[in-house]
Amino acid sequence: MKSKTFKQRIMAVAMVAAGVFAGGALLNTQAVADETCQSPYMAKIIGQEDYVYVWTLGIEGLGDGQDKLVTVSTNPKSEHYGKVVASLSVGGRNEAHHSGFTDDRRYLWAGGLDTNKIFIFDVHSKPGKPTLHKVITDFTAKSGGVVGPHTTYALPGRMIITGLSNNKDHGGRTAMVEYTNEGEFISTYWMPTDDNLRGAVKTGKYADGYGYDVRVLPRLNAMFTSSFTGWSNYMMDFGKMLGDPEAMKRFGNTATVWDLHTRKPKKVFDVPGAPLEIRCAWQPTNNYCFTTTALTSKIWLIYEDKDGEWQVSDVADIGDASKVPLPVDISISNDDSRLWVNTFMDGKTRLFDITDPHKPVQVFEEQIGTQVNMVSSSWDSTRLYYTTSLLGNWDKKGEENEQFLKLYHYEGGKLVKKFEVDFIEEKLGRAHQMRFGAYSLYASKPAKDADIQLSELR
Amino acid sequence: MRILRLLFFCIAAIPISAYGETPAANTVPLAPGYGDLGYTAPAAGSYNLPPLRNAADGAVLDEDGNSVRLHQFYGDKMVLLSFIYSSCNDINGCPLATAVLSRIKKHLDSDPQLADNLRLLSLSFDPAHDTPEVMKLYGRSFASGKSEWQFLTTESEQALAPILDDYSQSVITEYNEKGEVTGTISHILRVYLIDRERRVRNIYSVSFLHPDLLMNDVRTLLMESQGTLPAAEAAVAATSSAPALPGDYKKGYESGEYQTQSVSLDSRNGTQADLMQVLSTPPLGLPPVPVPANNPVTKEKVALGRKLFYDRRLSLNNTFSCAMCHIPEQGFTSNELARAVGIEGRTVRRNAPTVYNSAYLTRLFHDGREHNLEQQVWGPLLAKNEMGNPSFALVIDRIRNIADYQGLFEAAFDGKGPGMETIGQALASYERTLVSANSPFDRWYYGKDNEAMDRSAQRGFGLFQGKAKCTSCHTVTDKHALFTDNAMHNTGIGWHSAMQATPAKRRVQVAPGVYHDVDAKIISAVSERPPGDVGLYEVTQNPADRWKYRTSTLRNVALTAPYMHDGSMETLKDVVEFYNQGGLANENLDPLLVPLHLSPQEIDDLVAFMNALTGDNVDILVSDAFAAPVGDLRKQDPDWTHDNKGNF
Repeated sequence: MKSKTFKQRIMAVAMVAAGVFAGGALLNTQAVADETCQSPYMAKIIGQEDYVYVWTLGIEGLGDGQDKLVTVSTNPKSEHYGKVVASLSVGGRNEAHHSGFTDDRRYLWAGGLDTNKIFIFDVHSKPGKPTLHKVITDFTAKSGGVVGPHTTYALPGRMIITGLSNNKDHGGRTAMVEYTNEGEFISTYWMPTDDNLRGAVKTGKYADGYGYDVRVLPRLNAMFTSSFTGWSNYMMDFGKMLGDPEAMKRFGNTATVWDLHTRKPKKVFDVPGAPLEIRCAWQPTNNYCFTTTALTSKIWLIYEDKDGEWQVSDVADIGDASKVPLPVDISISNDDSRLWVNTFMDGKTRLFDITDPHKPVQVFEEQIGTQVNMVSSSWDSTRLYYTTSLLGNWDKKGEENEQFLKLYHYEGGKLVKKFEVDFIEEKLGRAHQMRFGAYSLYASKPAKDADIQLSELR
Repeated sequence: MRILRLLFFCIAAIPISAYGETPAANTVPLAPGYGDLGYTAPAAGSYNLPPLRNAADGAVLDEDGNSVRLHQFYGDKMVLLSFIYSSCNDINGCPLATAVLSRIKKHLDSDPQLADNLRLLSLSFDPAHDTPEVMKLYGRSFASGKSEWQFLTTESEQALAPILDDYSQSVITEYNEKGEVTGTISHILRVYLIDRERRVRNIYSVSFLHPDLLMNDVRTLLMESQGTLPAAEAAVAATSSAPALPGDYKKGYESGEYQTQSVSLDSRNGTQADLMQVLSTPPLGLPPVPVPANNPVTKEKVALGRKLFYDRRLSLNNTFSCAMCHIPEQGFTSNELARAVGIEGRTVRRNAPTVYNSAYLTRLFHDGREHNLEQQVWGPLLAKNEMGNPSFALVIDRIRNIADYQGLFEAAFDGKGPGMETIGQALASYERTLVSANSPFDRWYYGKDNEAMDRSAQRGFGLFQGKAKCTSCHTVTDKHALFTDNAMHNTGIGWHSAMQATPAKRRVQVAPGVYHDVDAKIISAVSERPPGDVGLYEVTQNPADRWKYRTSTLRNVALTAPYMHDGSMETLKDVVEFYNQGGLANENLDPLLVPLHLSPQEIDDLVAFMNALTGDNVDILVSDAFAAPVGDLRKQDPDWTHDNKGNF
């Protein structure tokens, strides 16, 4: 029988304490690296990721103009390090946005916020060359009218998908939709509204029925959702929207805490100004999650108080709200001590010390580009990947519309750039969400690159 | 054999001795399944467990080595199925599953009713080592009591593979760096709850594989099968009391005191109306509906047009129907946008006009470029920035290939199928029925009911005809009122938008009651170059027609904010105040626009009057719209991803 190294034991402690599923020894005890924002039910990558999959929006007139899954080699020991090794076009511009693996990490589900298609990529057969396994085209019809499949989040044997909009008014009222890993519809869970709170308590003034992100804390049987805006807003020209007072009234102002097991909402909280990404703490006694509001530029804490009741509180400002820095993606470190916050408008990444989650303090900032959206961190927080695109019609225009994937190492309190892929120069499109891939998750026998990872660990 | 037996006994014993306490020497925190759940499991029957999939069959071996089918164990009882392998040494892996099942078995042993309804199954995914004899040995520790726990294996890995595939139980045999089998099998821990209909109802993993949750799930399914499951929370009324109001109600959002009054979308149901009625009996205040001789309105055409109107499959990428911009509960326009947004979010330059009473319009679109509904409907279908279809053929062929349109055109058009003419005629026929009047004003003015409209509105009408000169364009006659002259006018709004400099800052609302004055440079960085808009000039090329737009009807105007051709005014009061100033001076300003010198009270009276122009049937028309099916792409519809074949 195999013995576990100290490192393995430590990671196993952290992962299981955080509610990570276990299984056979490999997936459980050797889980030491992946971005820190994935579903806790999900298999984790060993050591160095081999690839980053970039869900990329096509740009009309650039290359083939289609959305595509771009695979970039990220293992420094690969001869293709920092290069595009595969590009898989999927037809149309679907408003490619977010993606997420199934819990066994064999498939990557990538949603199109416009066409409501969900592209399911096989990433396990050939991690360096994903293939299109299946396309869900009837998401809206099956779900009873949900539009804008956003977060595709792994639950055991199934995926839960947040919607952003609906097929009746293209506004912000929406639902979550659950599918099996095989791509079969299970159920729709509408967000609580004033006329039907679905058992939830409206704690403040708002119950808008809007949706955006979803995260879970399984050990507390808790699920959390945030709220953005409907199709009309997220699809239209950003400048046009900012000049449209009616459109600006259609943003979400709520976060909702759900009973994870029953999928029923428990509390609706006022979180004004479009709360977007949710990141939950990993440590076993840290009963909280963070979110940031895009329009009001604040960090919010969703936390369990001493009486075991969920509460929310705005705990820090992000930049100068009057300049609309637009906080977008955030990334929490595995020890819950740091939170990276990207702000789209000024292209900056900001690091907050969240040791005291009620008092985050910004300790670092650096401009990544003219615009920046996503940040994906390795599990140990040493490697940070950045991409640029927010939404097809929200990205900056003209020369300021940089589109790239950049890898930085966070070393000695500084970001050191390791490579950059220019998605315009490569005729690819708008670089959006990144997910990591590795041979070690799937190989029946280690491939050349996977040998490196396994030997590093032992 | 003796050594093997000891080993199995130890493994099997780990979970039993472990649950409820934490072994001091173990550095791995135990999964909740060994101890307390950490929270109170949701009460049985307080939730639903929707079926996930059919639980597949497969050839397996029982403890005595008999060939049996997995389905032989399903059907008469619910089943809890766990995939394990006997030599698994991960405390939070297979031993956890076995420990939890053993705890459940204790429950069953003390509860005969549950025992009669639940069977435990453990199936090995290591047939090479887990022979029937081994599994029998493994299960011996759990053999006591009356409840049933079967330990199964398979003939070979080949026999096992389809079962693992069917249950999506991925398994990886681990190799070391030399390519040698380590003896460890990596897998995701999954335990399946299967109902009597052989459907998977829940899949458990480490973090919530716990007897409390599991037993309540089993009880929930038992209640379901016995018909004693409490009904889900009371459904909301089929329709809200005022369907004509937007479900995402934003009145007062400008203030920090705003409170939501949102309505759930799954309650957006309606009742089909007799839309043909208005054709024979026009409502008070409107003349008979004009119907072209070559397209008489029939029930079949209206039904077909109604179906087309709400069908999102009529756009290039299946995301846009007519109703996405002409939203029934938003006055058949959009209250949520000043200027419309089309396919792929493309900018539409103008505010979506209402479809109410469009039957009476002789000029269509804000620039008046079309003169009848039959032709007009093709404009949005083919516009690159609206529904985005590149050709007539694409629209026609798609409709022809959608199964639920089979025969409908032929029935409505004497055997004619979908085509340029019939599609336009069907849509126009439905739109012709969206007639709305018999408003408080109509009942007061034409019906002579003195109490039908309040005094302020009555004074407002006096101003409307008199001092404010509104009837110069918003026509009212002795017999009826279209509230439009169907003519083109320059008010200065288009000119101002095109010719004036951009202000250095723009006030932007970011939350209820929260505004920022944002630098124009910041907004400019994320703004496309705004498309020009010169109004009627674009049709005639006559410079005198620059920034002329069609007079909008004022019927149902209370429902159709924001106002003007570009949606630049949020309220009716804004509009009246604009006209009170005499419009915006420019070379082609319509001479009818002059300063009106209205007092604040007079402005309020005019607004009150316009609020009295809402027809009495809007709830009926909106409810009918709610009852119309929304066409969304389905698997049987044409799309290349369905068959990877060209369909055009």
